[in-house]
Amino acid sequence: MSQTTPAEQASNETPVLRLAAISKTFGKVAAVKGVSLEIGRNEVVGLIGENGAGKSTLLKILTGIYQPDAGTIEANGQTVKFRRPQDSVDAGIGVVHQEQSLLTNLSVAENIAMGSAAGHGEGTKFGFYRWGRLNREATKVLSRVGGNIDPRATVGDLSFVDRQMVEIARALRAGEATHTMPLLILDEPTSVLERGETETLEREIRALKEFGSVIFVSHRLEEVLRICDRILVMRDGELVADRMTEEVTEDELFLLMIGHESEAPQRASAVGLETGTPVLDIRNLSARGAYRDVSLTVYPGQCVAIVGTRGSGRGEVCRAVFGAATYDEGQILVQGRDIRHWTMRQAVRHGVAYVPAERKVEGLVAGMAGAENLTLAHPGPSAVGPFLRPRARKRMATDWFERLDVRPRDPKMRLERFSGGNQQKVVMGKWLASEDLQLLVLDHPLRGLDAGASETVNAQVQDACSRNVGVLLIADTIEEAFDMAHVIVVMRDGEVTARYDLSVESTTSLDLLEGMV
Amino acid sequence: MSNTSTAFAPEPEAVEAAQTGKARTRKRWDIRRGGEVAALILLILVFSLLNRDTFPTLINLQAILDQASIPLIIGVGATLVILLGCIDLSVEGLMSACGVTFALLSANSRMTMDLGVWAVVVGVALGAAIGLANGLIHTLLKVPSFIVTLGMGFVGFGLASVIYGTDSLPLLDGGGIKSWPAQQFLNLPYSFWLAAVVVAVGALVGRYTRLGRFTYAIGNNEQIARSNGVPVRWYKTAVFTIAGACSGLAGVLTIMQLGSSPAQIGSGVLFLTIAAVVIGGTSLGGGKGGILRTAVGVLMLTVLNNGLLIAGVSVNIRSAVSGGILIVAIVAAAWPYRSRLRIMK
Amino acid sequence: MSADTLSTDFQESDTGTGEDDTQGTGSKRRFSARDVWQSFGPVVVCLAIIGLVIVLNRAFFGGGGPGILALQATFILLVSLGQSCVLNVGSIDLSNAALAVVAAMILAQTLGSLGPMALVLSIGLATLFGLINGLLIAYAQVPSFALTLGTLGILQASALVISNASTVYVKGGAVLLDPLFGSFIARLPLAFWIAIVLAVVLWAFLRFTRPGEAMKAVGLSETGAIFSGIGNRRVKILAFGLSGFFAGVTGVVIIAQGGAASTFGLGSDLLLPGIAAAIVGGTAITGGTTNPLLVIFGALTVAMIPIASAALGVPTTAQSLVYGLVIIVAVALTIRRSGNDVIK
Repeated sequence: MSQTTPAEQASNETPVLRLAAISKTFGKVAAVKGVSLEIGRNEVVGLIGENGAGKSTLLKILTGIYQPDAGTIEANGQTVKFRRPQDSVDAGIGVVHQEQSLLTNLSVAENIAMGSAAGHGEGTKFGFYRWGRLNREATKVLSRVGGNIDPRATVGDLSFVDRQMVEIARALRAGEATHTMPLLILDEPTSVLERGETETLEREIRALKEFGSVIFVSHRLEEVLRICDRILVMRDGELVADRMTEEVTEDELFLLMIGHESEAPQRASAVGLETGTPVLDIRNLSARGAYRDVSLTVYPGQCVAIVGTRGSGRGEVCRAVFGAATYDEGQILVQGRDIRHWTMRQAVRHGVAYVPAERKVEGLVAGMAGAENLTLAHPGPSAVGPFLRPRARKRMATDWFERLDVRPRDPKMRLERFSGGNQQKVVMGKWLASEDLQLLVLDHPLRGLDAGASETVNAQVQDACSRNVGVLLIADTIEEAFDMAHVIVVMRDGEVTARYDLSVESTTSLDLLEGMV
Repeated sequence: MSNTSTAFAPEPEAVEAAQTGKARTRKRWDIRRGGEVAALILLILVFSLLNRDTFPTLINLQAILDQASIPLIIGVGATLVILLGCIDLSVEGLMSACGVTFALLSANSRMTMDLGVWAVVVGVALGAAIGLANGLIHTLLKVPSFIVTLGMGFVGFGLASVIYGTDSLPLLDGGGIKSWPAQQFLNLPYSFWLAAVVVAVGALVGRYTRLGRFTYAIGNNEQIARSNGVPVRWYKTAVFTIAGACSGLAGVLTIMQLGSSPAQIGSGVLFLTIAAVVIGGTSLGGGKGGILRTAVGVLMLTVLNNGLLIAGVSVNIRSAVSGGILIVAIVAAAWPYRSRLRIMK
Repeated sequence: MSADTLSTDFQESDTGTGEDDTQGTGSKRRFSARDVWQSFGPVVVCLAIIGLVIVLNRAFFGGGGPGILALQATFILLVSLGQSCVLNVGSIDLSNAALAVVAAMILAQTLGSLGPMALVLSIGLATLFGLINGLLIAYAQVPSFALTLGTLGILQASALVISNASTVYVKGGAVLLDPLFGSFIARLPLAFWIAIVLAVVLWAFLRFTRPGEAMKAVGLSETGAIFSGIGNRRVKILAFGLSGFFAGVTGVVIIAQGGAASTFGLGSDLLLPGIAAAIVGGTAITGGTTNPLLVIFGALTVAMIPIASAALGVPTTAQSLVYGLVIIVAVALTIRRSGNDVIK
């Protein structure tokens, strides 16, 4: 029997990662509060939580994008500070995001080598590529994750599963460069995959266990339960549970994620609900890779909220309604009209409005004043034909700024200089100012807004409903849906899994969550 | 969410295989890749049939290859710049400046200084220096490449005018360096062999060196390249410098071919080269294409030009044709990628 | 407030420059240094260069200097007004100067037979050409520098064919255009004042009409404009149409001044000065910012360049060099840079 020194024993037990009391606050909002955890060697740990629970912020801290306001990070026993992403890579942490970060016109081997400085160095000599060496290295890493992709293939030609594998191989290579045990963070790796393709991924992750540890972030609980040794649950910025997989059930996990079961308020029927022509009628809508066979209706005065996690496809459906995205099959009818060939301009002219999630790029025109943005889509009284009426515009802007409580009350200030909440108010005002508004599509409208702004937006939505405008809403949280909607539609992985009409039935947050994950 | 993989990225290897006839293992053949070569062959056939006596002759071949040599050389630099996603409009200005410099430093009728081969070196070095300036201004001052190179092009013309001065046209002495391009090796002019060497080197750089591969990377997605640790500014500057050197060499070669130096040379070669790049299949957005592809494009356009010349079409119409081809080529290349949300400025 | 209101990708930058909703950055809003420069810079630069010339050459004002200046400035201003429309939407038109030459040639050949209709014809054709440029760029979604490079080639070739590489003279009817450079207001030719008026009309159009404002929106943020229901394609076609229009007017002025048009004579090298004047006149290369009133000063400044160079002893052969440097410097100084933008 071999003897191990205390030092050796210690190093065999040193966790790959240890976080102590990590906190991060943005303004008045605490995104991460006092999180402490450990990732052991050769472990696969799942990280789950609702939208807004703080998972994303925590990951950004681990990958060096954010610096924690408090707490310490230890990687392989050493206390580290990540000032920039490279520091995190140097400490052995590799990450695979949902967004692709591969260079699609280069080969697999090159992409794998790119992830680390060492890869650069070994694959070239005097600036010349040693293809043989590069390809061999790549094959070695790929085989570790159980893949047999040709390292000479161009990434752009690969399927999504294969690209994921390359990303993982690259992250692994980067993590290994420091000769410590690598920690691989996989952020929603299965969202882009079809259900069948996830088996490959699961095999890869099991293979990874031999060389390193994995943090697996996903909203698909059955996968998490299948693949992970341990599960961490976050809620409201805190780590609320740390359980071994065999000791916990799916239902328990649900409850841990939302804390308590809340019930939807009984909603009085909206005006003239569900009679006549629906403002919006989506029939069997499908878009390859995003969603399949989605159907829903919105009647005038009704607010329909779609809840779902990342990858549910709800965002793409809403964009398709506005004409900002294409679809393959099915129909979208606005006031009975098929909108297949509509440009966004036509959508706007027919009374459809869209408040996008990407506020800064799509929602407003940066560089133009608040008043200008406000009257851009529907000038109303501020223009006569092609001619602008500056005084009428000023009146209109002052009026709306008052109504929406935009602060500061300065319609001449460039819109990007306002805080996010006030920007959002102006963006909403742009659409609400139209007399002919029929359908208001809101994509994460309360994202980044504080309580005051949220309330204002909420009130405006209710007001719109009372004016017989139909509202289609993508809610950030279940609470938001409960607050605003008459009907809640649940989507998961591109399909509608449930529909609850709150005027006739009640539902709980647990029910919704089950449909979402 | 998910997106279908972007349309095929043409691999330089496949075209190389087409050119050299050597198959590379497991390189897939694509109809579109072979398309440009097929079009070239088709053009050759058509003109051969139309002008049976004059077109398919050795002399004409020599003329074609001689004419093609300048755009081939420029095409190397232009392709690298376009692969980055940028553009170099300074080509003609640099050709002028470097050409005049070379002329005055060689045996000529105006001055007595004759640096021989070193005059060529100086000419190319001047081109590289201006190219370096292009790169630095673009990367450090963040001035868009079309503005920097547009401005520098005119700076080049200005330099040429200043250096040229107001004296008489310097004529290169007969014999010596002036006759170099016309000499032949294997019955083909030296000018062509020079161009062939430059193209070959360029193709190797594109395929085998870090400079080449990172150029493709930057063109594909500059931000991802940067976050992968590619020193983008360094490589962009290097590419502009190389392009400048190519323009310089082309200018020198033009002087040798003409035997004298008017202050403004190279008119029209910019269109021809960019049209050749686009026709050859290199994307103006960067990241796709290659030097050998551009070479095929240059050959196509030169053959077309030559064929039209032989058929008696006037020179003005021919340059209109170049412009028209450029437009058709870029519209055709961009057409499949149209979408409501695509922003192209 | 709980973390419930955050979504998965909470971004600090989402809160804008104010951290919370109750305070914006109202106090230091309107006049940053850049804004001041944008409003007055071109005037300052123009006055500075005129001042420089007067210092170096006292005779400038007496010896008909202003007249020469106004002459040159007229051409440059007209071309740059068209270019500034295109720059305003974020594109560039490399063909407008060549278009002016071709329009001039067409006018020269038809003025005698069609009289005033020849003006309508040549300006109309030029505008049409510009619209076609715009159509191709907008619908095929091709880069404007490449497309207009192609049309530049076609135009240059057309000019050579029409003129047979020499000069096209007006065949009668020139009398119609005499007043343009024959009558004077405040000792400056009528043509100059017409150009100024056009600049003012353009300014009013950009500032007080919806299409004008749409152009600004497309230039500032094409995506944002599209999502607000603005037809970005129409806007671009309009911008290039205006460029064509101004090129046509420039063609008229070329004929009015010299009675002839050629590819090497008066008005044949207006591309770079046109771009330079637009930029020195405060037009942003990235789009969204232009003020035709300031472009007037930009044109004056650029028209002064040859005069100032001569006064400074710079040889005329170096003219191109100076223009090239001016453009690069002007853009380098005025371009809006933010750390993450990718410039190509």
